[in-house]
Amino acid sequence: MNNPSLLRSVALALWALVLLRSSVDGRLDLLLRASFHPLVGGAGLLLLGLALLQALVGLTPRQALPTGTARPQAAGRDRVMTLSTAALAILLLQPPNPSFADLASQRPNDDTASESLSFVLPPAQRSLTDWVRLLRSQPDPLLFKGDPVRISGFVLPVADGPPQLARLLVRCCLADATPVGLPVRWPANRPLPKADQWLAIEGRMAVQGEQVVVVPDRIRSIARPARPLEP
Amino acid sequence: MVRLNTAWALFQGLLLEAVPFLLIGVLIASLARWLSPGGAWLRRLPAHPIGGPLSGAALGFALPACECGNVPVARRLLVGGAPVGTALGFLFAAPVLNPIVIASTWAAFPDQPWLLLARPLGAVLVALALTLLLRLLPETELLRADLLEERQLNQPLAAVSLLERRSGVIGLPEQAPPLRPAPERTRWPEVLQHGSREFLSLALLLVAGCAIAALVQTLLPRQWLLAVGGAPTLSVLALMLLSLVLSVCSSVDAFLALGFAAQITPGALLAFLLLGPVIDIKLVGLLGLLFRPRGLLLTTVGAALVVLLIGQWINLWRL
Repeated sequence: MNNPSLLRSVALALWALVLLRSSVDGRLDLLLRASFHPLVGGAGLLLLGLALLQALVGLTPRQALPTGTARPQAAGRDRVMTLSTAALAILLLQPPNPSFADLASQRPNDDTASESLSFVLPPAQRSLTDWVRLLRSQPDPLLFKGDPVRISGFVLPVADGPPQLARLLVRCCLADATPVGLPVRWPANRPLPKADQWLAIEGRMAVQGEQVVVVPDRIRSIARPARPLEP
Repeated sequence: MVRLNTAWALFQGLLLEAVPFLLIGVLIASLARWLSPGGAWLRRLPAHPIGGPLSGAALGFALPACECGNVPVARRLLVGGAPVGTALGFLFAAPVLNPIVIASTWAAFPDQPWLLLARPLGAVLVALALTLLLRLLPETELLRADLLEERQLNQPLAAVSLLERRSGVIGLPEQAPPLRPAPERTRWPEVLQHGSREFLSLALLLVAGCAIAALVQTLLPRQWLLAVGGAPTLSVLALMLLSLVLSVCSSVDAFLALGFAAQITPGALLAFLLLGPVIDIKLVGLLGLLFRPRGLLLTTVGAALVVLLIGQWINLWRL
């Protein structure tokens, strides 16, 4: 393609495709906090519009555009754009498949106080994150002894004990994800679950030493949820 | 392989979050180019050593973009002939001195009002110090050659010495750009071409920056950096390093800092919030479009020193 405007148009369209496809194929749910999703979709639409305009300019019979494209640098820039399109093609072909357990193993546990806990749900409706936040704000384990628990999360190996059931909290994107976990008293007659496995647990809260522990009545293996990250 | 998959996801997360902001920055720069092709108002910005950077920093309130979006806008300021100090003041301080970032800092730390004051003030201080430092270098050693060439085209001939002119002088290469006629509104196809080229070249640098940041994050356990959280000086240094590595956008870094704020000293917290918007791994490539390597090195070292000092002062005051 010798027309630099059309080449640019293709490159812009590919970028638009990356953003728009990410917005619809659920990739953003895995990578970014929900409040940023419209921004990505909007940028994709904007880029698509720019790509179309750029194509229009490329297809219009050449007028004397003083764009500097006749300069020797232009060839270099076009090469750069071709490279960027190649990078995009790889992006499009390779959806992300992160290991939450691996990511969490490199991060300290989330230390946030209970600032997001605006009201307290009935025990059986609390998510894993709700439980962690509630336990931070009211650390007396006896308050929760015997409460019913219905939570889901991934299995996070812990250095000094059995694996926990955990979730990742994200404020912006996966780069700032921090784990929160609850200790689980895994059934003695079954092998410990594998890291990164997603489980739904129904059971009760119990007290072990000075902390609460989830005692499961039923453990189900589940697929990774469509929106695995929590705010 | 597991780690590579994680790095790939981190890379995509960083990139997808940053691209919209980059696009906003390029659009603002293109709009400025279209509305004010000659950039006459840019040349009227104050060139005073202190007033220049301060007015540049204040521009952040009018152009709310984070650090990725700021680079194309700062480039536009420099190309348009704005005083270097003003453009640098904008580049370094505007990522913090804008309504979105101040609001997000307040939302993340409503119980720490000192931070709401210290962060913008610190950003202005860093921008002033860096601008004064970088002005020690002549423009020809600070700014990239192509940027300088475009900049000189937009300056009155009287402002450019005969030695610096690439046009109208006998004996120079033929491809020297022609002198522009009196500024008139640029045609939209030209603005579009320019904006598209700028976006694509910046996006490519962003890809490189995000890739490096994702790899470093995956290979360097974060606990190592937070392990020294309680030591006054080490904690500041560790959090500065963390902000370089994490490369998250200034509009959300306060929420990120919230996650480990309780483990670190107040000075380290402020250092994290001040250094990231000025320089990080993701930004190095983008800043390379403005500065020569020496300018980039001076920016990095200067910013690190000033932020370290501010962090220390805060620790002396708050601990």
